[in-house]
Amino acid sequence: MTDIQQTVYVVEDDEAVRDSLELLLKSDGKQVKTYESANAFLRDYSDKMAGCIVLDIRMPGMDGMELQKKLNEKHSILPIIFVTGHGDVPMAVDAMKEGAVDFIQKPYREEALLEKIEAALKQDLEQRKSLEEKQEIIRRVKSLTPREREIMDRMIAGQANKVIAIELEISQRTVEIHRSRVMHKMGTHSLAHLVRMVLSVKDLID
Amino acid sequence: MTEVVSESPEVTVLLVDDNPQNLEVLYETLKDKGYRLLIANEGEKALDLAHRHQPEVILLDIMMPEMDGYEVCRRLKADPETADCAIVFLSALDDLQAKVKGFDLGGADYIAKPFQSQEVIARVRTHARVIRLERELQARNRELQGDQTRILNSISEGIYGLDEQGVIEFANPAAAMIVGAPVEELVGRNFFELHFATGAENPDSLPVQATCRQGIPENQRNIRLLRADGQGFPAEYRSTPKQEDGELRGAVVLFRDITAELAKEQALQEAQALVQEQRDQLAHTSRLTTMGEMAAGFAHEVNQPLTAITNYARVAKRMMARDEPDLDLLRQTLDKMEAQSHRASEIIRRIRRFMKKPAAGKEILAVPVLLEDTRQFAEVDMRNNDGGIEVVIEDGLPDVLADPIQVQQVALNLIRNALEATRSAGSSVPVRVSAGRAGEGFVKIEVRDHGVGLPEDAEEKLFHPFYTTKDEGMGIGLATCRSLIQAQGGEIGFERPEDGGACFYFTLPVAGREVESPASPEA
Repeated sequence: MTDIQQTVYVVEDDEAVRDSLELLLKSDGKQVKTYESANAFLRDYSDKMAGCIVLDIRMPGMDGMELQKKLNEKHSILPIIFVTGHGDVPMAVDAMKEGAVDFIQKPYREEALLEKIEAALKQDLEQRKSLEEKQEIIRRVKSLTPREREIMDRMIAGQANKVIAIELEISQRTVEIHRSRVMHKMGTHSLAHLVRMVLSVKDLID
Repeated sequence: MTEVVSESPEVTVLLVDDNPQNLEVLYETLKDKGYRLLIANEGEKALDLAHRHQPEVILLDIMMPEMDGYEVCRRLKADPETADCAIVFLSALDDLQAKVKGFDLGGADYIAKPFQSQEVIARVRTHARVIRLERELQARNRELQGDQTRILNSISEGIYGLDEQGVIEFANPAAAMIVGAPVEELVGRNFFELHFATGAENPDSLPVQATCRQGIPENQRNIRLLRADGQGFPAEYRSTPKQEDGELRGAVVLFRDITAELAKEQALQEAQALVQEQRDQLAHTSRLTTMGEMAAGFAHEVNQPLTAITNYARVAKRMMARDEPDLDLLRQTLDKMEAQSHRASEIIRRIRRFMKKPAAGKEILAVPVLLEDTRQFAEVDMRNNDGGIEVVIEDGLPDVLADPIQVQQVALNLIRNALEATRSAGSSVPVRVSAGRAGEGFVKIEVRDHGVGLPEDAEEKLFHPFYTTKDEGMGIGLATCRSLIQAQGGEIGFERPEDGGACFYFTLPVAGREVESPASPEA
């Protein structure tokens, strides 16, 4: 997973805040990309982006909350740290409900911000890793033939080979061959592992 | 022959003679001539009748026992009631001395006995007419004098007639009342010496002097005059030259004591000052309220540079921690910090100026600068998604004369209302603030939004205190705005644009407009 280069995306309308934050994060060794508006970020967005967003909640034009909604629609998994001003706490709470990882109030201490950014990057890394795992599982599930898929579903449902053979009106031997192909294609030897894998992507298949 | 007397039936003639025969002859002569005839046969009786009836003509015999005609005449002339009667002596004494004595005593004429009836009739008629005319004239005179006196008495202003030296020739009762001395004491005194402490030594520069000496009318208010007792009082006077045949004959001075007036004016000024103070107070309270509502925005606004400063400071520290710090980059970073700290103090300065308590007073203001400042102010309060604020200024807009803080307060209030209306309507059309000339000597500033518009009854209520359409509003915003704009000499109002929203405007007087707009002459 180390091949992924994480970037901190700063979306901030205030030029000085944007510039100073960029310098600060770069001096801390982060890769930084800045945007002066939510729209500018949205234009640039792709699901290849890795890292986190530091997003000012108060901006003219599209605000931080709206950008968050748009990104959710695009199934973005980029963690968002909202930067709020004094008195924006209710907005920040709403943002958290929408899935933001954290918020920080301006003016902030550098340590606090960097900590939150580190946590967000870690979360991104994990999410990205699990996402890649899921995508691998999905890729494997999709490589199954319809018959193999049907037998796997019955295996996960806990049906014994004999029951599957009777219900599908095939020989028990045939069931056994399919079963070993499923285990091979899904890359596991354990039924328990198979069940875990398939359930983890249950929402994404079918 | 009889026409004249018959026209004057009231003419009374008194016949006085101790001789009954003479009386009868006179009576016969004058009866049926339209006179009222009275008869007395002795002096006392004659005086009594004359006193009671004031006859126009008395035919008076000189030679009488007890009291002779001369004595009767003397007494008649001494009695004011009868002094004007025409006394015609009748006597046989046809000598010069007797006649002269009669005339000396005030007699009007003399008829020698034995008299001719025609002569008696003619002389009585003549004297009756003369006396009648004289009496009428006197009556008219009295009437006129009465009128004049009544007028002069009823005028509450003091009036003096002065000669060219300033000596008082005439004073009305009001003058006496004001000065505190009877008219008789005023007449004959010198106006300048009486009313001014320096009048005796140095009268040249005193009021009224130029009117007395050079015939120049004067009119001054709030000068100090002395009363008879030496106490001063504030006065207003008007003096006009008195001219006869083109020659200056002194002055007529009208004056009055304005102590009470000044006290009223003072009270009025105090009341106005109080109103002004309360308006400023209300304006200040309203500004504080506005600031309170905008507090979150201001905190945000100040936090931006503070955040940037903190970030830059951290960056600078890191740079310095390196073995070979890039001094150039470090200096750039410090410059940025400095700029941000100026930015923060500028925001704070603007807030403090706006919250400053008493209004600074009217100044000559450039409208574009004022509106730009206000726009920046209002943007503090802008929420996300607001369409923003556009400022449009007509070319060559003249400066205005107004109180900058109060005008900014009004502009800010209208812009914030417009932003809020825009927000409530979910519109993203920017609020448009425009300034241009309006009519003669005014600049008009409009704040136009495409928001929710105005309620139906806005005309009646909008500028009234405690009327509000907002849930949290106190309803003093627009009422305060109106009072502030009126204090600048401008107007405030609103229109309903055809394509929705609202348009509020106010006007301000152009600076120095009194000086610059003389009527241009016809070409």
